[in-house]
Amino acid sequence: MTQKTSCHKTTVKMLLTGWLAAMMLSAGNASAELLIRITEGANSAIPVSVVPFAESGAMPPGDKVSSIVQGDLTMSGEFRTLEPSKMLSLPSKGSDVYFRDWRMLGQRYVLVGELTRSGDRVQARYELFDVNQEKRILGETAAAGVGSVRTLAHHISDRIYEAITGEPGVFSTKLAYVTVSGEGDQMRYRLQVSDVDGKRAKIRLESREPILSPAWSPDGKKLAYVSFETGKPAIYVHELSSGQRDKVADFSGLNSAPAWSEDGKSLLMTLSRDGNAEIYQMDLASRKTTKLTNHWAIDTEPAWGYANKGIYFTSDRSGGPQIYFMERPGAEPRRITFGSRYNARPRPDNKGEYVYYVHQRDRAFHIARTNLKTGDESIITRTESDESPSVSPNGRLLIYATGQNGSSVLTVVSADGGAAYSLPAADGDVREPAWGPITR
Amino acid sequence: MIGHERETISTDTPPWKSPVVLSVALHVLLLVIALAGWSWTNPVQEPEPRSISARLVSPEPKPSPVVDEQDQRDKEEERRLQEEKERQQAEAERKRQQEEARRKEAEEQARKREQERKQQEAKARELAEQQAREKEAARQKAVAEAKERARQKAEQEQRAREEAKRKAEEEQRRREEAERQRQEQQAREEAERKRKEAERRLKEQQLEALAEQARQEREAEARRQQEAAAARAREAQMLSDSEKYQALIRDRLSQAWYPPSSATENMVARLQITLLPTGELANVRLVSSSGNTAFDNSALGAARSLNRYPVPDDRDTFERYFRQFTIEFNPQRLR
Repeated sequence: MTQKTSCHKTTVKMLLTGWLAAMMLSAGNASAELLIRITEGANSAIPVSVVPFAESGAMPPGDKVSSIVQGDLTMSGEFRTLEPSKMLSLPSKGSDVYFRDWRMLGQRYVLVGELTRSGDRVQARYELFDVNQEKRILGETAAAGVGSVRTLAHHISDRIYEAITGEPGVFSTKLAYVTVSGEGDQMRYRLQVSDVDGKRAKIRLESREPILSPAWSPDGKKLAYVSFETGKPAIYVHELSSGQRDKVADFSGLNSAPAWSEDGKSLLMTLSRDGNAEIYQMDLASRKTTKLTNHWAIDTEPAWGYANKGIYFTSDRSGGPQIYFMERPGAEPRRITFGSRYNARPRPDNKGEYVYYVHQRDRAFHIARTNLKTGDESIITRTESDESPSVSPNGRLLIYATGQNGSSVLTVVSADGGAAYSLPAADGDVREPAWGPITR
Repeated sequence: MIGHERETISTDTPPWKSPVVLSVALHVLLLVIALAGWSWTNPVQEPEPRSISARLVSPEPKPSPVVDEQDQRDKEEERRLQEEKERQQAEAERKRQQEEARRKEAEEQARKREQERKQQEAKARELAEQQAREKEAARQKAVAEAKERARQKAEQEQRAREEAKRKAEEEQRRREEAERQRQEQQAREEAERKRKEAERRLKEQQLEALAEQARQEREAEARRQQEAAAARAREAQMLSDSEKYQALIRDRLSQAWYPPSSATENMVARLQITLLPTGELANVRLVSSSGNTAFDNSALGAARSLNRYPVPDDRDTFERYFRQFTIEFNPQRLR
């Protein structure tokens, strides 16, 4: 089930119109040659055709590579793909691409390719064409084991995404989240890791007690999280490849909300070992903690800002939870959010442009973001019980958990709220999503 | 002026003093004198001696003039006259016999008287001849003197004539000169008049030309202003058309442009577009890169994606604004 969302654009549009009119007038007189300024793009996804790849040799069962690619591109919200049944031809190499046909179909890009089975590996040769420029903009080969065609497909999606948008794709990244299923004694909390499309989910930890706040290490090899498995919250660092777990914080009181530093050597966390919830930084090697805030109010949910410049956190020092920004440890925090009386769980993007957070308005909880340059706040989601935002490592997508028909599901939206899709429903509730980093 | 400085010679001589009249008069005079002189050169008629001339001549009856118209009446008269004649002839015979007697006597007497007379005549002749000689001498002297006088007079007259002629010629020359000068003067005056006329005409023409020029300039100015106004109107029309089609192109390109997600508001890509009058894209060139390949490609793709650019039908507007123009892609609102 898809929740369509949008953001407020009317004011911006009006401003733009005026500006355009002014530019038009000045352009008419300023120079001899006419200058037309285009300041707005199509407010829709880029039409891309992913032609089913030709195959030579036996392919493993399951989804086709081209279908996975098509799904990835669609999921990003930045592309709309053409159904293969509507294609006039199904070329698998550049010489068979008739641009006029694709142009007639309104397509901007065409991906053609061919898979070759050799032994236990599958090789893909693929080319991406710009239909209007009648130009090949990408031509590569990639290979993967027979059992990893999804990896191969996500890799191709990333390459295509980057070729078209100029930004790295996030289709090969991972998601971590917690599912809750069962009731009573059968209730199980499971920490899972999956592809961004929800496929290939693997349970990393199962517990009868709550698991909260998974956080990816910058290299994507570890997860830090809070587990109540001992009956009280403690912070663990879990190496995924080996399954090795370290309980790094098990102080009296609250141990919660771990967040990795950019270098992966320290964690921010909330501890209440001194009586009040404050933000600490723990050096993982020495396990030494440094108290970063000192306020009678609750300070929690810390996150490093872009390039480790400053720390965003939630504090109720103004009476209700609001987002604050502390430029460096010990500095006077600056309040970021003012739009409503509840703003919590800040998640800055990777560019220093926006900070995302849970925002309450009219008893509903949405995900909102504030432009750090202008201070403008916009609500991104239209669902009503939204929590736990997590931004994709390229800053283009946002995943969050939302209540749906009494249970909780994960939803991905483009960071401006333009498009959304829900991850395949799993058993029970799905909570606490965390978007993993791009790993190469 | 030179013409004015030259004094005109007056010719208001009375007619009788006119050289022509004078000349004519002189010629007449000379002719009279010549004729007189000539007569004087004839020998003087000597009076015939009375003896010779004393001859009795009976008077001849004059013949009656014959008059045609009086014929009838004259026959009567003729008869009567015939009778008279016969009577007269008888009378005459009688008289003649008487006369014969008397004549014979008279002849005798006459011979005697003749004798005497001849003697006297010889004497007289001698005297007359003497006198004639003297007279001739005197006459000849007088003639010589007259000749001399005439010669002198003729000379004088010749001189006078020559003088007159000279004077006349002089006068003629003078007159001719005067006439020439007058004509020259006249010619000069005419020339001057013509020059002035020409000047006046020229001036008039110049003035007319100036007036014409001014008129033409006014008209040209009016035309220019009219044309300028028309051009401005046309320009305004073209500009308004241009703006309309710019807006259309902008809309079409905005719809066709998919700014890549890596786009920032700082990115600007400029393309130079060349169109055919049909609105088809003839050429597109990236003239200024954004520095981001995906962004540049998105701009190029958008520019190339339009099958036909909306362009005005008006060829001038098309040529002015849409034959070649620049599109600048610069996102102001990002997703």
